[in-house]
Amino acid sequence: MVDLTKLREMAKEVISREDVRELIGYRPGTYGFRVRPAFVTGPDDADDLVFTPACVNNLASYIVLEEKLPVKRGEEPDLRKVAVMVKGCDSRALLQQMEEKAYPRERILVLGIPCTGVVDMAKVQARFPDVLEVGEIALEGEKLVLSAGGTKEEVPKEELLADKCTRCRYPTPLVYDELLDAEVERFADDDYADVAEMEKRSAADKWAYWEEKFNRCIRCYSCRNVCPMCYCEDCVLLRLQPQWMRRSVDLSENTAYHISRAYHLAGRCIQCGECQRVCPVDIPLMELNRKFSKDVLELYDYEPGTDVENPPLLSTFKVEDREDFIM
Amino acid sequence: MAEKNDFEPNIVAFLCNWCSYAGADLAGTSRIQYPSNVRVIRVMCSGRVNPLFIMNALQQGADGVLISGCHPGDCHYMQGNYYARRRFNLMRNFLEHLGVEPQRVRMSWVSASEGAKWKEVIEEVREGVKEVGPMDQFKRRQLNW
Repeated sequence: MVDLTKLREMAKEVISREDVRELIGYRPGTYGFRVRPAFVTGPDDADDLVFTPACVNNLASYIVLEEKLPVKRGEEPDLRKVAVMVKGCDSRALLQQMEEKAYPRERILVLGIPCTGVVDMAKVQARFPDVLEVGEIALEGEKLVLSAGGTKEEVPKEELLADKCTRCRYPTPLVYDELLDAEVERFADDDYADVAEMEKRSAADKWAYWEEKFNRCIRCYSCRNVCPMCYCEDCVLLRLQPQWMRRSVDLSENTAYHISRAYHLAGRCIQCGECQRVCPVDIPLMELNRKFSKDVLELYDYEPGTDVENPPLLSTFKVEDREDFIM
Repeated sequence: MAEKNDFEPNIVAFLCNWCSYAGADLAGTSRIQYPSNVRVIRVMCSGRVNPLFIMNALQQGADGVLISGCHPGDCHYMQGNYYARRRFNLMRNFLEHLGVEPQRVRMSWVSASEGAKWKEVIEEVREGVKEVGPMDQFKRRQLNW
């Protein structure tokens, strides 16, 4: 676990630097052990920064979310760095953004957090109702300790860990300027067994499964808004000419939306699982993304967000790419 | 079963201007009879075909989609068909994952001199789509006001 005093000291030192404009981290939320993103602009604000197993958000999204207003006449653009706290999975988002040349490396300062896993709030809620609003959570060894109203509960880590963490292969950030703790050893592996399971089903079965899921979609676009890779200024789903998908909420348009959303992440999704986490109607969006991740790895031996020097998958090709599906 | 065999599918074909469109044209000028289920859309290169075209065609009533371009190495724009191949492979696998039968989305290489191959390709696509029946997964509902 990250030492909080060390984290805050580091944050204070970083935000006091001349060339740092802002620091994005986590701070306790209003209730219970929920946390929320913190946008720190001065050393005084750095005092309530935390890192707990409840820090689920991917802060890499905020770097590309920030609106770039036009610079006023006579003013210089603010080119100071933005410092951001990232877990292992989030650091891949940064790498992928830089791979796509969203911003140059020197515009950000990365505070890496070697992460031992974060909890899935839905799992906590299911197991301990009401705890979210009142309790606290901490990681002690291999046990998660939840305390609420004077009582303490110890739970093995695996039970409440988010799905993405149970198959996390990069717990230590792949890119960082400062590391807040000792490196964590890789504790899990990913064999895409869940995707392979789905692939074995018949077409009718698969569609029956997805039809039910897509029918639930209310088109709130949370999955797009929270995604660190969805940062196009001109998003295809807002286009009116051509209008790729209509805005009406019905099965056909919902499916079109989910196909386009997932396809636009093909070879880009870094599997932080934010889309699925924020979905208010619990559509298993990661199953769509993971299908692409699996294909991309198997067919093109490509893994997004692991190397800045990699060219983006779909803007390159190899002459010897597979073509056994072509007539 | 008899009912299913009577079904004549709508197939949307995206043909590249330089090879496949000329190939289909050659089939016509050589009076090769091929199934008339296919609706041809000419694009300048198979690399022009956005994977969303496939989705959109299926949504708007196509039962099958065919993308056809030059053979690898023969692209008029040098590399367009290589890019198309990557994109299409991912899209096809993905649609299959959602439950759209792989027979519905096909890709082929047809050169300008392959009028006879064009006929075979179309027949095969038609057979495949006939086998799986009308597209009813996420076709847009037609409202009669």
